[in-house]
Amino acid sequence: MRWCLALLVCCLLAAVNALSSSGSRLLAVLEDTDQKDLYSTLWADLEARGYDVSIESPKSDQLALFKHGERAYDHLLILPPKSKGLGPSLTPKHIVDFMNKDGNILLALSGKASTSSAVSSLLLELDIHLANDRSAVVIDHFNYDTLSAAEKHDVLVLQRPGPLRTDVKAFFDGEGVLALPRVAPQTLGGESTLLAPILSAPATAYSYNPKEGVPAPEDILATGSQLNIVSSMQARNSARFTVLGSVEALEDKWFSASVKTPSGTETPTVNREFAKQLTAWAFKETGVLKVDKVEHRLATEGSELNPSIYRIKNETVYKIEVSEYVYDKWVPFELPGDDELQLEFTMLSPFHRLPLKPIGRTETSTIFSAQFVTPDQHGIFSFRVNYKRPFFTAIEEKHEVTVRHFAHDEYPRSWVITGGWVWIAGLWAVIGGFLAFVVVWLYSAPVADKLKKTQ
Amino acid sequence: MAPSSLDVLLKGSSGRNTRGLLRVIILVTIAAAAVSSRLFSVIRFESIIHEFDPWFNFRATKYLVENGFYSFWDWFDDRTWHPLGRVTGGTLYPGLMVTSGIIYHVLLLLTIPVDIRNVCVLLAPGFSGLTALAMYLLTSEMSTSPSAGLLAAAFMGITPGYISRSVAGSYDNEAIAIFLLVFTFYLWIKAVKNGSIMWGALTALFYGYMVSAWGGYVFITNLIPLHVFVLLCMGRYSSRVYISYTTWYALGTLGSMQIPFVGFLPIRNSDHMSALGVFGLIQLVAFADFIRSYLPGKQFQKLLTSMILLTVGLGLGGLVLLSVSGVIAPWSGRFYSLWDTGYAKVHIPIIASVSEHQPTAWPAFFFDLNFLIWLFPAGVFMCFQKLKDEHVFVVIYSVLASYFAGVMVRLMLTLTPIVCVAAALALSAILDNFLVASTPSPTAESKAKASTEDKSLRSTREPVVGIYSYLSKAVVTGSVTLYLLLFVAHCTWVTSNAYSSPSVVLASKLPDGSQFIIDDYREAYYWLRQNTPDNAKIMSWWDYGYQIGGMADRPTLVDNNTWNNTHIATVGKAMSSREEVSYPILRQHDVDYVLVVFGGLLGYSGDDLNKFLWMVRIAEGIWPDEVKERDYFTARGEYRVDEEATPAMKNSLMYKMSYHNYQSLFPAGQAMDRVRGTKLPKESPQLNTLEEAFTSENWIVRLYKVKDLDNLGRDHSHAVAFDKGLKRKRATKHKGPRVLRTE
Repeated sequence: MRWCLALLVCCLLAAVNALSSSGSRLLAVLEDTDQKDLYSTLWADLEARGYDVSIESPKSDQLALFKHGERAYDHLLILPPKSKGLGPSLTPKHIVDFMNKDGNILLALSGKASTSSAVSSLLLELDIHLANDRSAVVIDHFNYDTLSAAEKHDVLVLQRPGPLRTDVKAFFDGEGVLALPRVAPQTLGGESTLLAPILSAPATAYSYNPKEGVPAPEDILATGSQLNIVSSMQARNSARFTVLGSVEALEDKWFSASVKTPSGTETPTVNREFAKQLTAWAFKETGVLKVDKVEHRLATEGSELNPSIYRIKNETVYKIEVSEYVYDKWVPFELPGDDELQLEFTMLSPFHRLPLKPIGRTETSTIFSAQFVTPDQHGIFSFRVNYKRPFFTAIEEKHEVTVRHFAHDEYPRSWVITGGWVWIAGLWAVIGGFLAFVVVWLYSAPVADKLKKTQ
Repeated sequence: MAPSSLDVLLKGSSGRNTRGLLRVIILVTIAAAAVSSRLFSVIRFESIIHEFDPWFNFRATKYLVENGFYSFWDWFDDRTWHPLGRVTGGTLYPGLMVTSGIIYHVLLLLTIPVDIRNVCVLLAPGFSGLTALAMYLLTSEMSTSPSAGLLAAAFMGITPGYISRSVAGSYDNEAIAIFLLVFTFYLWIKAVKNGSIMWGALTALFYGYMVSAWGGYVFITNLIPLHVFVLLCMGRYSSRVYISYTTWYALGTLGSMQIPFVGFLPIRNSDHMSALGVFGLIQLVAFADFIRSYLPGKQFQKLLTSMILLTVGLGLGGLVLLSVSGVIAPWSGRFYSLWDTGYAKVHIPIIASVSEHQPTAWPAFFFDLNFLIWLFPAGVFMCFQKLKDEHVFVVIYSVLASYFAGVMVRLMLTLTPIVCVAAALALSAILDNFLVASTPSPTAESKAKASTEDKSLRSTREPVVGIYSYLSKAVVTGSVTLYLLLFVAHCTWVTSNAYSSPSVVLASKLPDGSQFIIDDYREAYYWLRQNTPDNAKIMSWWDYGYQIGGMADRPTLVDNNTWNNTHIATVGKAMSSREEVSYPILRQHDVDYVLVVFGGLLGYSGDDLNKFLWMVRIAEGIWPDEVKERDYFTARGEYRVDEEATPAMKNSLMYKMSYHNYQSLFPAGQAMDRVRGTKLPKESPQLNTLEEAFTSENWIVRLYKVKDLDNLGRDHSHAVAFDKGLKRKRATKHKGPRVLRTE
């Protein structure tokens, strides 16, 4: 009775504190505490969604990401510092450790001042590159706000981004335009699969350093849509690192501003909604996948659940339940677009790679299933589901099972094999013939004796 | 009078009984001596399984005792050869495990509670007692003298050539196989002598047991047909030979085919073809013999020649056809290496890398057999003198076994029994001649002569020399006794010093003479057992596979059952390549820990760096383009590990794992490797993809944990550099066209 009550209380608590799937302690690092009021709507929005926001200066002595070797915060929001670094408690090493322990980070940059070298070298570890001099802004002569940046063209006005590819879910789309003043552009390394751009600059944009002017052609690293305004990185443990190029876009001023493109009409910005989408994703309120249950068994009725050993050529069923976290609750996961969840049956290399079909759903999860025959090869196999997509946390399920050979009494008996009948007939013919011969031999002996006597 | 009362005991029927009783007592004593001389290691160390292979046999026996015979028969072992697994039930000789399983259950039935480990440890000494008895029986068939058998039994009981494979704890197939070998030969001799189906069938039965126990059964499979063949060639065909051989072949082959590991080999493998051929030949000879008794000589002559031509033609043609078409398997590599000692080194390095497959050094013969080795030819010579059917067997056996023992160290084991037989024959002949032969009582004529010529020279009356004189008797018996005593002393010394070390536990002497036990292996294996998850995969060179499986109870990649050369080569490649090459291999095979044996600190020469070239060679056999033995030698052809080691050597995983952090034990720049006797480079090698997990007390066993992929997707060298606080260079200078993301 008592534990029932406790469970109920827990459920209620969960319902009240509708928030991130991975904790509510959020640390915002802000150098000037008087700047805090610039972002008051943001803080209010975050607290309304259930976060315990603590705002600290990077220079503060009390600031520590870890306490007794454990994370002291679940999420980290870093606003651009004015000084060279982020202080002794936020070195790149600390931040990487924070990520290795599943902490999420949202890093805002600003094109107003040059980015600190500590931040730059941290980003370099993640294979995210800033412009050479770390103080460039994105300029676009076609998509700028004519009201506030008629001269400098450095306030971009853009649509919210749609899906990255057809098989990727769009977490940041919607109606309305964004105002992005003074964006510090990022480029992403070419090889990392952990990186994904959230919002890229338009094809007509370019990177420009107001102090140095237009760079020489050979120094240009990227232009147009190769420049990212918002980029994301999910580590292997699914800790999220988000880089927002323009910190000003989070200010109250731009949440409620109106903008006008050279060709368009004056419209209010949707920066507030976008900030919600972005922080929700960055702090794991959306795009979080969870495997609830994995089952595998023989296809026959009443077979043992999750056995550790199978035989070759067994009909096998594999089931996996996946749920997705959307803002405040777990819901059945639905595959975006034309994407597929795949099961591999692997020993050194996959022997089977099969699509997992949704066969049903529970209240919070979708059940995917596949049925197949184990290969004619004994060994130690594993059922693997490896689902890694941009913006979704990774699913990496591996269950090792042994596939054994036929036991001595599992082969068909000789008389069942029609091809063996010839040999069986031959065998019994020899035995019968021998017996017949012995009988004939035994009963034909005395005749010779009689003949001798008569002679 | 005392002599007369002794006479009552020694003569007549009661004398026979007395001698019989004495013989039994002597044999029991010999068996007891055989058992007790093998207990050195138990007394010095503890009741522990030795070496490598016995650990597998022990593990298999435990499985058998725990799970019953049928699941043992169908055992699929998923804890070795990860991820391939091993069909263990079908790829082992079950005789040993089943024997100790039966003994264990019988003891339980007699309500004697006993640990299966103790059964396994003491099985070999127990069976050596039986071997001595079997030896007595075999030798008694060769000689009329009762002392020959007893001597042979005593020799067999304590000769080091046999003790080397049967000390307590040496729980290997040979432990019971040598008894079976000797006993099968005894039964075979009995069968040939009596020409009885019963003895032939018994031979087949024990042959079947032998097949179930040891791969060396092929020796019997070829020796018995050879014996029969030689007898046929000598014109000694008789119905005795026919009956015993056909009975043995038919029943024995059927019996041997019941062992899953042997299966259809007896009718498909070239190693077994001689038995089949002789079986066919003896049918023809029997048929010819039968015909001859019905046909006149000339017609028979014609028939015989045409028949011989026909069968030889058909047989040869058939054999070639079957071999070419692949029905009969070609000779196995191990077989070729018996004839050409260089064959294995070139074609099958995995066989050549085993020390017991090396050719025997000459001193080893004296070491293992002592004075038996020079009595051996004398005994063989004496067999030539009599040359009955059974003596032909001794001669053939000694010729074959001598050759094989010269080719491979481990085949000394098959030579030992026949050496004991021959030496016992020779020695008993000497002793009989000198001890028993009394001066022939002079005939009546010579008596008369003697009385008349009483005054001849004194020396001719009672000769001092010659075999009847007491002096020569004393000298000969004395020297033989001396030799026998020396033999016993030698055997005891060899057993205690050379063959009684478990090799799992090493013992060395401190300067003050006290014993120093080095127990690093077990320390490391128990660390694995207690600190790693139950299915953590351990990669090591295959030598340690069985021990890891037995003592640490963790899955291994390769082990001493070297059935898959490619898998071993994969491990060899991982060990001998750069980290960047090795790491994907380790990941692909789910390796969690890597184990290396390093003797540099202690001067333990059997370590992995000394075996390293075999790893390279075996890997080169499969990937000749990626691993090259030449790269591990300096330009001057030296194998070095110091400052001048080649880059391939210095970057190999094995080198890095062996010397990782080793330099920190020494003052700067003075690190020494005591096995290879060289000074090491100042800097210890940098490991990026592995991290040290455990190093045993004397640094003999070192364990490394394989790191997971970097969380941020960097490669490990960058991650390690970052953790050390080194700043990464900004990747500003791009060589070639920039790679741009498309999404």
